[in-house]
Amino acid sequence: MRTIFLFQESSSLPYTLRKRLPRKLPKRRNDVYVNMKTDFRAQLARCQKLLEGGGHREICVHGLGLAINRAINIALQLQASSQGALQLAANTSTVELVDDLEPEDPDEAGEPMTRTRNNSAIHIKVFYPDAQ
Amino acid sequence: MCPVYQSQAYNNAGQPGGVNNVSRPVKPAPLPVPPPALKLGQEGFKKVCRTEEDSPCPFPGLSSGVLEMRVKEGSKIRNLMGFAMARMQGEKGVSGVNSSGGGLRQVVFTGSGRAVTKTITCAEIMKRKVGCLHQLTKLRYKVVKEVWESTEGGTSEMTVHRTVPSISILLSKDPLDPQEPGYQPPETLSALWEEREGTEPATASKRSLGPLQYTSFPDCKRVCLGEGASVLPPH
Repeated sequence: MRTIFLFQESSSLPYTLRKRLPRKLPKRRNDVYVNMKTDFRAQLARCQKLLEGGGHREICVHGLGLAINRAINIALQLQASSQGALQLAANTSTVELVDDLEPEDPDEAGEPMTRTRNNSAIHIKVFYPDAQ
Repeated sequence: MCPVYQSQAYNNAGQPGGVNNVSRPVKPAPLPVPPPALKLGQEGFKKVCRTEEDSPCPFPGLSSGVLEMRVKEGSKIRNLMGFAMARMQGEKGVSGVNSSGGGLRQVVFTGSGRAVTKTITCAEIMKRKVGCLHQLTKLRYKVVKEVWESTEGGTSEMTVHRTVPSISILLSKDPLDPQEPGYQPPETLSALWEEREGTEPATASKRSLGPLQYTSFPDCKRVCLGEGASVLPPH
């Protein structure tokens, strides 16, 4: 049974690590991808604008890795400020990320390698439930 | 005497100016935001203890024989998974209760604050190792009480009530209600290939328990099917 292991870089291999960006996923009008660089309140306001002004019955908030916490926070804040009108449905998934390892010294015998690793992602649907 | 720290109120009014405010519903009063842990650490405070306030289980009608895994920030995934997998897959030598033959049917992973990502990772690992698990995910806020003490030997002490996001993931061998919000069916190959675009069905044959193959997609993000991480030279 294989478990996920971390590749230990030895000091004798001077590699620069370069993370590849995750592939751009298809983005509908009501998809919001959360990141750690943009201000939290700006992302929250964007979601609110989509729900209230944009006339969408539901939006989907996505978060990858460290942004999972922020995505959950945004979704819970949206629900709290709607006074219980909104409902949340969360789905989780695993996303594969690829890193490029390049040797620092061009004369070094090492060759460029790639490392793949996994990261968790969350997809939260924020919606107004259908009236019964 | 533990004074509760009050800081400036959180202002969640990020609305653009052009929106008509008259039709907007009245927002509830913003909650005071406790200071971040980093700031408290810099001001010479040290955390003494942290207790979580227990909240009721969010899953309705859950049997009492379910295993609850509480994931904390410092938990080692290896240890958590070792324990959970043994229980789910059925340990040998468990003294002969019929219901536990073949392992438990359900397990719940809960975590809050910084442990949320780790909780999701544990659930994903379990789903990969034990196939065909139904998933139900619930999100809510949890109130955590922290007691901070001054390192300079003064008698000042602070109690901070922090609301942190928390997640509970129920994994079940038995089918769950698909209408419940947060339900996720067990991942089947067909459902997977419908969602993804630009991928030929021929690559489905690559799905095996061997190491991940390096693909020719330069910017590749795909749902993980293989096992683990490996370093491979490009072809």
